[in-house]
Amino acid sequence: MDRGALDRALLEAHALQDAPALVRLYTLAAEEREAVQDIDAACFFLTQAFVFALETGAVEAEELNRKLADRGRAHRMRF
Amino acid sequence: MNKHSVLSSVLTDVNTANGLPNEHYIDPVIFAEEKRSVLYANWSGIGFGKDVPEVGDARPVDFLGMPLLIVRDRDGEIGVFQNTCRHRGMILVDEPKKISGAIRCPYHSWCYDLKGKLRATPHVGGPGQNKHDDVNPDELGLIRVRSYVWRDVIFVNVDGEAPDFEQVHGPLIERWQDFEQPIFHGGAQSSFKLEVKTNWKLAVENYCESYHLPWIHPGLNSYSRLEDHYNIELRDHFSGQGTLVYRQLSDDAGAKMPDFPGLGETWDEGAEYIAVYPNVLLGVQRDHSFAIVLEPVDHENTVEHIELYYAKSEQETPELDNLRTLNAQQWKAVFEEDVFVVEGMQKGRHGALFDGGRFSPAMDGPTHNFHHWVASQVENGRSD
Repeated sequence: MDRGALDRALLEAHALQDAPALVRLYTLAAEEREAVQDIDAACFFLTQAFVFALETGAVEAEELNRKLADRGRAHRMRF
Repeated sequence: MNKHSVLSSVLTDVNTANGLPNEHYIDPVIFAEEKRSVLYANWSGIGFGKDVPEVGDARPVDFLGMPLLIVRDRDGEIGVFQNTCRHRGMILVDEPKKISGAIRCPYHSWCYDLKGKLRATPHVGGPGQNKHDDVNPDELGLIRVRSYVWRDVIFVNVDGEAPDFEQVHGPLIERWQDFEQPIFHGGAQSSFKLEVKTNWKLAVENYCESYHLPWIHPGLNSYSRLEDHYNIELRDHFSGQGTLVYRQLSDDAGAKMPDFPGLGETWDEGAEYIAVYPNVLLGVQRDHSFAIVLEPVDHENTVEHIELYYAKSEQETPELDNLRTLNAQQWKAVFEEDVFVVEGMQKGRHGALFDGGRFSPAMDGPTHNFHHWVASQVENGRSD
């Protein structure tokens, strides 16, 4: 998915308050940024994904928190 | 000189006492004072457990302008929090909803678990940086408001200074020990509310005396005469009325609602209706009970939230749906008969020459007991 398509999909997911899609799309955005070693941007998107996962009780929350904590960007949480 | 009316005429024996002065019913300044000294300083009802039946259920409540959030946590316990984010003071939950994971503030997405613990502070240390040395999550959980659930009513003590609920209401809990058992809400038809143009206290006062029954509820005269009732009053605690001739409702086929198990014989024909100060009205009978939370909207408006409960659930006894509906209709009719009285007393309180009124020494003890308690709370507040 190119950046423009990803942005549009994210906006649509926000409009629909589609939390599973937000988790998936922000995670995808994080992976794309990480692939080019843009760690700050990757952690921004990981944070977005994490919040929506945490809010909805999605299983991905634990892994997203671990990734952020491993990068020193969050407290490690227990789930 | 004290700018308020002296309450000493209330704080005396019922035989010679006057009722609370007009300003306690019509003056928004006194209403604000009572909010602090009476309603926030004691255990006030704000809702019902049946409205948050499942884990994750969250229900916002406006209690005298204070935003509260009732939550059923993962242990099945009910908690009450100030519905305000610890970050920028945003309202967290603005309508009843199911929290599947965390309570997320809709502004900057700080997240809290169902026990109020702060779980996430996204970007608090900058983009993608979710922690900061000076932001300690352990110190920034939701503000928990003291709460206690009894007979499915959720009570809160907002100022946190009242003695424990079980200490304050121990005498009543003991009095109704037979009824300390599971109760089941009767479902949608057993839930109704009345919006009444009256100060909340007048609804309490009307509820806890039987003096008015033959005039306002003449339908009761055929089997529940005035002399079949007795006063209930315990100074500084509660007051109400009891009847010795409670008659069970039955349908055309003679079916009745099942009794609460193990009740003493006192309750075969006995029933009691007690005001749990300040704003909760409870009734117990052998086959059902009810709870009323009076929501003081302002000094001249009150919403009465009325809920009926039974010994067995709707799911267990679908054959009793019609009886439950009939019972709810009967109670609603009774409570509606009281509306013109409490609204009329409210209008009467605008009579500038009214002196608070004189009580019947024989019949108005429960009402005076409430006035005495309110006056005591107000005086306590003024002495702080």
